Amino acid sequence: MRIVSGGVTDLGRVRTNNEDCFRIVESLSLFVLADGMGGEAHGEVASAMAVETIVKFCMEQGAGAGAALLANAEPSWTEKTKRLTSAVHLANKTIYEAAEAHPEQHGMGATLTAAWIDGSKLSIAHVGDSRAYLLRSGNLQQLTTDHSLVAEQVRRGILTPAEAEESEMQSVLLRALGALPDIEVDTDEHILFARDILMLCCDGLTRMVTEPEIAGTLQAEIDPTKAAEKLIALANERGGVDNITVIVVRVGAESRGWFSWLFGGGRRKAAGNGAAGGS
Amino acid sequence: MAKLSLMFEEKTVKEVPVGSRPVSIGRSPDNDLPVDNLAVSNYHARVYFEGGRLVVEDLDSLNGTFVNDLRVERATLHDGDSIWIGKHHIKVDASGDAPVPWDTGRKASAPRINETMVLDTKARRDMLQQAAATGERVQFASGRLKVPTLLVVGGRTDQKEYMLTNKLTVIGKSAMATVKVKGWFKPPMAAQINQRDDGFYIGPGDKMPTVNGTAITGPVRLNDGDVIEVCGVRMNFIFRE
Repeated sequence: MRIVSGGVTDLGRVRTNNEDCFRIVESLSLFVLADGMGGEAHGEVASAMAVETIVKFCMEQGAGAGAALLANAEPSWTEKTKRLTSAVHLANKTIYEAAEAHPEQHGMGATLTAAWIDGSKLSIAHVGDSRAYLLRSGNLQQLTTDHSLVAEQVRRGILTPAEAEESEMQSVLLRALGALPDIEVDTDEHILFARDILMLCCDGLTRMVTEPEIAGTLQAEIDPTKAAEKLIALANERGGVDNITVIVVRVGAESRGWFSWLFGGGRRKAAGNGAAGGS
Repeated sequence: MAKLSLMFEEKTVKEVPVGSRPVSIGRSPDNDLPVDNLAVSNYHARVYFEGGRLVVEDLDSLNGTFVNDLRVERATLHDGDSIWIGKHHIKVDASGDAPVPWDTGRKASAPRINETMVLDTKARRDMLQQAAATGERVQFASGRLKVPTLLVVGGRTDQKEYMLTNKLTVIGKSAMATVKVKGWFKPPMAAQINQRDDGFYIGPGDKMPTVNGTAITGPVRLNDGDVIEVCGVRMNFIFRE
């Protein structure tokens, strides 16, 4: 699969510090996003710690077989999925222990959504209320489940989705990295198809911008970074009450068969002619 | 506790209490108050408490929801009102006490939360239990486990039957597709079925599938027994016990 990606983070219009953190490791097709919490600057510490730990763990060469799996892994998962999940467990442990060691950092934590693409296989690991979305043939699908109190109440039929949007408890999470010594990580595997668009974002986006708007922007803007910028601009127009972070990943066709070669070549030729005509 | 009684001509067909969770009304059997009549939309309306008052809300139904004689999109209900849906009517008994919604009951004491916070395990358990005590049907379908299944009834595919265990299912010729369609000139990704919190939705891929004979352009929620047709393959979507 050919992967093109871009990510942007923004302070928003209200906050004075950015507690979000993201990393794109293009060589690995690894995408990690975290939204920190905890007073003072500790949210930033936690989210950066989460992202760094995960990226480092996933990048470590030869860790595949030798890596101690920190969690009970599903045997059917791919090596990458297992490694990603282990990395999230490790990040949780790292943040928790840091908070224990430094009393002033007590209560810091982070949400985490990570995606790792290997060929056509997508591995997702997730904790908290950041989200991963997949846009496929115009159909936007949330791949992750929000671990927030209101989302859980909606799932249980206690609140209606409209009530959840009004609720003052929106920021209450049921799971986050760093809150407990051990944690449950949501892990999922999906198959990617050509023209799929993957998006990771924090709640700073999804509280301000609706899903149809997200789908529309991702479809209209081909450049991933520009698409992320446009979504952030929209969230800021609406008030930008929180930090906003968006990663957009576009999946292209893998094989360049004779058909696409013919067309690709044709287009290149046309572009060349156009340039020649202009000069 | 408030109560809704579904009436057909002067007979009571069914009664349901209204607790802190909304009561859904519609033709689809998974509603809290199913109304078996073609004039009723699958998910027609719902009734719930809001700020201590009982409210009915029409869910963009085709034939509308009427309170007494007035067509409403949303209306406050009073004791003795009748909600008309098709040829049925629902008598409203609002004489009981309104349950205190767990959320609003908390508002007074809970500080306004701007900062994100995590509940520790105990607080989380308490809060969910408290919430569960006010809702009658907490974990839906906890007793009966139903497996969503696609049965192929026409066309050529690699299997005759598919259990939809993944969040994303693709129907097409691609080697990566869950439902692999065989034959010439079939699209790699003809259609997709996605699992969401409230059910399974079919959406177009390279082709526009039909559900029960109607072509769809956007995601449509699948109901038990729906017939899906795309690129020469005919399938039955069922929930298998």
